[in-house]
Amino acid sequence: MAKRKAVVKKEKCLACGGCISVCPQDAILMIFSKADVDDKLCNSCSICVKTCPIGAITWEGASHAL
Amino acid sequence: MHYDAVVIGSGPAGSVTARYAAESGAKVLIIERRAEVGVPVLCGEGISQKVDHYKVLEGTRWIATKMQGARIFSPNGTMVTLAAEYAGNETGYVVYRDIFDQELARGAVKKGAELMLNTRAVGLLKKNGKITGISAQQFDETIDIEADVVVGADGVESRVGRWAGIKTTLKPYDLETCVQYTLANIDWDSPYCDFFLGKHVAPGGYVWVFPKGKDVANVGIGILASLSEAGKAKQYLDKFIAAQPALKKGEPLRILTGADPVAEPIQSVTDNILLVGDAARQVDPITGGGLMHAIEAGRYAGETIRKAVEKQQFDTELLSEYETRWKKAFGKKLHRNYVVKEIMLDMEDKTLDMLADSLKDYKFEEFSTISIIKALVTKHPSLLVKLTPLMKLARA
Repeated sequence: MAKRKAVVKKEKCLACGGCISVCPQDAILMIFSKADVDDKLCNSCSICVKTCPIGAITWEGASHAL
Repeated sequence: MHYDAVVIGSGPAGSVTARYAAESGAKVLIIERRAEVGVPVLCGEGISQKVDHYKVLEGTRWIATKMQGARIFSPNGTMVTLAAEYAGNETGYVVYRDIFDQELARGAVKKGAELMLNTRAVGLLKKNGKITGISAQQFDETIDIEADVVVGADGVESRVGRWAGIKTTLKPYDLETCVQYTLANIDWDSPYCDFFLGKHVAPGGYVWVFPKGKDVANVGIGILASLSEAGKAKQYLDKFIAAQPALKKGEPLRILTGADPVAEPIQSVTDNILLVGDAARQVDPITGGGLMHAIEAGRYAGETIRKAVEKQQFDTELLSEYETRWKKAFGKKLHRNYVVKEIMLDMEDKTLDMLADSLKDYKFEEFSTISIIKALVTKHPSLLVKLTPLMKLARA
């Protein structure tokens, strides 16, 4: 089974950039004031998911908000 | 187009760097990826009155309130009051950061800097291995901007440093993850900035209440990212507000998130590159305050660019003057406070309560290392052992 990838819920993101600053893979960019995860680079470490102060980062395919 | 310096980011660090560089006659461009300078705000909005000495802000439109000092509440609610002059870099003014940033940018533009909005840096330009500027996306167009110096004033998430080979990725242990409401209609008319400590209040951080005029305040939280779970900062802040009768009837005028580096100072210079402000981790690891450092370092950066342009020399050797100056001015303090941060993170809530109890009647205007140790130990002799690492630091 493929590893799950982090996904930013764009409607929740408030653009603080915290996730970008801690991503060890350099897989997140701020595009038009929303963080955006490059799933080719994401190694599923969950640091960004835990860091987001408002829970705007979840896992690909998760049907509900965290 | 060719510039002496291109500055990535129009926050305080970028604008002050551009101001001092442009003032000396350098051709400077600031690029900003957002559509408005200073918006959205990502900050608690507290700053020391020392900012007045720099004379980089005109008028008073950027000031919301002038504060008398700070009050620190230990986990059991014991209060320690500090007058503004002892309360560090985050107490003095509570500001409107959007206006504050726009005033600083206006100052830079007045000195001759150019400013481009909606322009996002996407990479460095290089010729024969040498950095010659940046590539940027402006609306739907990619443009090349040639410059002898590239200034990374691009905040906590800095890309410029990474592109230039400087390791800027933060460990979760070195980041405070933050949420803040600006609450209206609260019963909070106080001349103090308040800080609330405790594992159940804010793990590895604190809750703050910064009054922004009668019945309005910024109420925010920072928790250490290594102790965070998804959405935990907001949950803890909501819990704090719900338990405070004076705050819970408030309604939010604004919600914002923030990310605050509480790390050791890093390398801020390489050939053709300077990092300034949060990008260079110029933030106090205890308080998370960075505005004053950004302004001070911005000045040094601008003055170094002036020298570089005069000599037409843009290598590490010349640009290092900038790093030497800011590390001399406050790098040592940041390092010391990083060590204090680590000691404080290891402290039990009970220890913080004892510390607060010892200091609640202490007269900080008569401050000396001996008198403070005496105050601490007289009431709670067991603190002596707990504070040994701090004493060692004070002697070093």
